[in-house]
Amino acid sequence: MILIGELSLWVALLMATWGTTVGFAGGYYKRPELIASAERASYATFGFLLLAALGLWTALLHSDFSFRYVASYTSANLPSIYKVTAFWAGQSGSLLLWAFILSGYSAIAVWTNRSRNRELMPYVTATLSAITLFFVMTLCFGSNPYARLDWIPPDGTGLNPQLQNPGMAIHPPNLYLGYIGTAVPFAFAIAALITRRLDAGWLAAVRRWTLVSWFFNTTGIILGMWWAYVELGWGGYWAWDPVENASFLPWLVNTAFLHSIMVQEKRGMLRKWNVTLVVSAFLLAILGTFITRSGVISSVHSFAQSNVGTWFLSFLVISIAVTAYLVATRLNDLEAKAELESLVSREASFLFNNLLLVGIAFAVLWGTLFPILSEAVTNNKITVGPPFFNKVNIPLGLALLALTGIGPLIAWRRASAENLKRQFTGPVLVGTTTGAACFALGMRDVGALVAYTLCGFVTGTIVQEFWKGVGARRRMYGENAVMALVRLVARNRRRYGGYIVHVGIVILFAAFAGLAFKEEFDVTLKGGENYEAVDPYGNQWRFVSQGVSRYDELNRQTTAVLLDAFRNGKHVGVIKTEKRQYMDSRGVPTFQPATEVGIKEGIREDVYVVLAGVIGEDTAEMRITFNPLVWWVWYGGLIMAIGGLIVMWPQAERRRAQAGYSTVLQPAEQKA
Amino acid sequence: MMNRRRFLAASAAGVATLAVARIASAQEPGQQVNTGAANAPMESDRYKPVQLAAKGAPVMDQAKRDELEHHLHCQCGCNLDVYTCRTTDFSCEVSPAMHRDVMALVAGGYSAPEIIAAFKNVYGDRVLMAPPTSGFDIAAWITPFVALLAGIALVLVVLRRLRAPALAPAISPSIADATPTEQARLDALVRNDDR
Repeated sequence: MILIGELSLWVALLMATWGTTVGFAGGYYKRPELIASAERASYATFGFLLLAALGLWTALLHSDFSFRYVASYTSANLPSIYKVTAFWAGQSGSLLLWAFILSGYSAIAVWTNRSRNRELMPYVTATLSAITLFFVMTLCFGSNPYARLDWIPPDGTGLNPQLQNPGMAIHPPNLYLGYIGTAVPFAFAIAALITRRLDAGWLAAVRRWTLVSWFFNTTGIILGMWWAYVELGWGGYWAWDPVENASFLPWLVNTAFLHSIMVQEKRGMLRKWNVTLVVSAFLLAILGTFITRSGVISSVHSFAQSNVGTWFLSFLVISIAVTAYLVATRLNDLEAKAELESLVSREASFLFNNLLLVGIAFAVLWGTLFPILSEAVTNNKITVGPPFFNKVNIPLGLALLALTGIGPLIAWRRASAENLKRQFTGPVLVGTTTGAACFALGMRDVGALVAYTLCGFVTGTIVQEFWKGVGARRRMYGENAVMALVRLVARNRRRYGGYIVHVGIVILFAAFAGLAFKEEFDVTLKGGENYEAVDPYGNQWRFVSQGVSRYDELNRQTTAVLLDAFRNGKHVGVIKTEKRQYMDSRGVPTFQPATEVGIKEGIREDVYVVLAGVIGEDTAEMRITFNPLVWWVWYGGLIMAIGGLIVMWPQAERRRAQAGYSTVLQPAEQKA
Repeated sequence: MMNRRRFLAASAAGVATLAVARIASAQEPGQQVNTGAANAPMESDRYKPVQLAAKGAPVMDQAKRDELEHHLHCQCGCNLDVYTCRTTDFSCEVSPAMHRDVMALVAGGYSAPEIIAAFKNVYGDRVLMAPPTSGFDIAAWITPFVALLAGIALVLVVLRRLRAPALAPAISPSIADATPTEQARLDALVRNDDR
């Protein structure tokens, strides 16, 4: 199986080359047999990359240390589940995962469009094959997971302890599914530009694939935050690390596109802008991969430095050049097909929403790359860390939150003063009441006060929208409230699924604002000693150390401290925090000691305990942190994912098409 | 002209040759794998002492000192600040050493800006967690907001262009082709449905 996998990688290279060549040739010469061959090559590439992936998994599970990759990322005593996840622990394995997922996406895109978008599909197939070809070339010539060693070591290095976590088992594949999902909309955009078929036709497929990318990107980011929080031990979930930023950039641009596409669908506007967003999301995904893998920027998540950075940079430059040429030569085909009736309209508010999303993306990209620029200009190394990103992005984020509440309240085309008054009164009242209540309860942090006021306002908007919708259904169909709510969402999935995503956003912002009240304490305790602290809610906590214990587990030596936790005099649990020294099968230490955070989770706050060190036999140095509202980050993310699934549900598209919805602007666009 | 079968045959032969050659070359001696600890030991030489003579009584408490350490970048190679690194990383030797310097300076009566300046003198700007607000690096702070203002100006220009009557003919066919009933239906859909 391993040899088959190894050879399959090379055959996939051949298939991707063939698919790219005949795809473009078939589209250019309009030769159906070449087009069909390119599509079959797409399926074949997927098949061979599946075999290549199975081969590597087999080598990992059999601990075949003759392979450099297996020896570098596993050891004989590594639990089997982590031998499976070691597939994406290193550079070449994760590149193979990229290529494999991309080929799978390509095969699905070709299959689902076998009787649709036929003018576009040759170029879509060819573009996807070209991207796959790039990845397979990088694998074969730059970073081959099947590279062998000249000797077989008795055991491997083992998997980094921080990657031996369930979050790390599912977070990278999710993120890759999101990253790579941007390739399909990019391929459709390239095909639409080449064929000059820039009407609404390509948008339907692009929107669906962008949603897929957005969904996985969202879940990937949230899972990554959870992993960082429970595993890394620094006390937070987002550090504005370059690699975190790289995952955030396509998400921001995809989110902007999912809003602005509505303006093109309904009003025929923003055509240039939408094409730009689609290609930017993909290029940012590639840029992010370049940042992660080139070692150009220091990051705790970076893969080892290697020559693949040059490959990615070259691919990025070529992609930008081709896209810029295509867009520049087709500007006339991208002119708006309708006029704006009023500045006070949904379309205008979406433009500002896009401006803020792209503005945040620019600020994040700028801050991430600025150390390189600064060093080039001043020959002076600087750090761009959380203080910079927070100061720049918090005001932009709050403005975006405000627009999340404003947008749904303004009608398409033109909103009258009377209409605005009617729509805004309720949400503004809810927002100001929330802000006043927070102030009355003693909150004095200006940023947090603004955030909670806006959270109240957006919540008011969402509740009002649901309230009106449910009321309308009850009047029209005589349904009870629950049935009306269910059917309201089921029959308008795109709109109300979007509002559910907004609910998740509100919860996330509320949780982020809670960080303003985070409190940390340095604690040194001997067994039997206790430490008292007051949390942000005014509760009196007491932590009593049960002492330091040391013991061997599966593939590690553990040093643990148990703390009895008392809140306002009542025992509320035991918190265990550990340091783990992992060993290979010969008992040789691998890696530096790893932290296992002790967390007592709660809806109001987490108590987060990190064992920083041990003095002598029984004295532990710890950091105890009260992290308010962290629980809400995970559930806000979950609600966003649920909203995304509701929006993605395919039936909504069919229903809309049946209702004649998608035909609104077709006559004009067909004539164009 | 080369047909598909010949192309595939030629390519397959080439790829097979390459694959065999690479598999064979991979088995040649000269390649190593690190089977020891993957993380190199922390470089304690990255630490540089920051010491000043005491000048008076302390002017900040522990909470302010911890806050100050959040603004100093640990030099061990991580991306964390001194406070977070020293209370997180079991094995870092740099952040505890930097912390000891901070404590000595606090005990010596130095204020937060003075301590930050002392660290900057020794390590340079890289010891700060954010870019300086002077010289070229001020561009880091200004550019996002300048770009945002430019974006707002651009949006306003786009909105004005989209409202320009010159564009009206471009949309007239679609509107003119619709019967009054169709137009009313379209309007209803656009205004009310699926906002």
